[in-house]
Amino acid sequence: MTYPSEGNLQRAIAFLAALGVGVASYIAVEAAGGDAPTCIAGSTGCATVAKSAYSHVAGVNIAVFGIIGYAALLASAFFANDLARFGGFVVALGGFGYSVFLTYVEIFKIEAICQWCVASATLMTILFLLNATRLIGYAGTAGAVPSRA
Amino acid sequence: MSDPGRRTRMLQLAAGAAFLAVAAVLVLIVISASGSDDGGDTELEGVAEINRSLQGIPQHELILGDLKAPVELVEYADLQCPYCKAFTEDIVPSIIENQVKKGQAVIGFRNFVVIGKQSVAAGAAALAAGFQERGWNFIEIFYRNQGRENSGYADDAFLEAIAKAAGVKDLRLWNQNRAEQVVPVEQTTAEAEGLGFTGTPSFALGGLHIPGLEAIETPASAGPLEEAIEDASH
Repeated sequence: MTYPSEGNLQRAIAFLAALGVGVASYIAVEAAGGDAPTCIAGSTGCATVAKSAYSHVAGVNIAVFGIIGYAALLASAFFANDLARFGGFVVALGGFGYSVFLTYVEIFKIEAICQWCVASATLMTILFLLNATRLIGYAGTAGAVPSRA
Repeated sequence: MSDPGRRTRMLQLAAGAAFLAVAAVLVLIVISASGSDDGGDTELEGVAEINRSLQGIPQHELILGDLKAPVELVEYADLQCPYCKAFTEDIVPSIIENQVKKGQAVIGFRNFVVIGKQSVAAGAAALAAGFQERGWNFIEIFYRNQGRENSGYADDAFLEAIAKAAGVKDLRLWNQNRAEQVVPVEQTTAEAEGLGFTGTPSFALGGLHIPGLEAIETPASAGPLEEAIEDASH
């Protein structure tokens, strides 16, 4: 099986993680100012989700955890070793899993969709796939050498 | 250069982590879903009794009773205030029974925030419930389950559980509305201060024969209030 080069995977991960830092930072900054992120086309889903009990874990806005996660993924993209590959996979797995849970909560519990949360969930899903590909393709290799089988 | 043994170990660890992640997400969803049927994790008291006692009495926003009644008794109160709870539980039922149900008066609840920020959120939530004709159910269930002042109990989960128990049907709309009701809470607080009130609960009478609102003394029992309503209705 042929995998994309690790360098390309790293670049894609870095780009998407940087976008994720931006999205999560926007949500966190709006929340810190007492506002909800602005939804497109006048939707009130963002305000509803931001006001819900699910927007905080242990008193901390979940966007803050998002910033930390995306920053860790961004950092992992700058190294081509097993620690970065495995660390990136684990962080992306955690982020993806929590995004699945939050999407469930939005649809079935809060009954409102926040477009910024959807954007973040989409980014995290792609990042999970990229990090999984990177780990499967390059685990155990010394550097950015494509693994072909 | 590659290390097959190391690669195998890493992929095994990754598979284990993925399994744990799937299990964790499933557990979170199951816990979350099981909380939805009983109003969340909050156990509430007096729900059936309160809802039954208010059944059939018209509600308009936070006004209880027939709007054609000649007198309005206005209560300025803070949902976190224990004296307001005592008043609502010990004195209000008599007024509801003797005068509100007979169409002689309505009781209007107005937020007068004296305790803290959580009172604002609770008051806004009550107003939002009032838009769905469940304001008084919300207020009375809140008082029955009132916690320690500013202890953090009146969080979103608690307020949502109260709203569900009060019979608020459209929780999505309620959530949207309560986000917009902070200003009205501040307005009625300023109104109470303007009437010279310094504590909760405080009362005023309004109605057909009273221009504006007339502040009255906070009574120790229902009797003086009922008499004041009686006098104001003629």
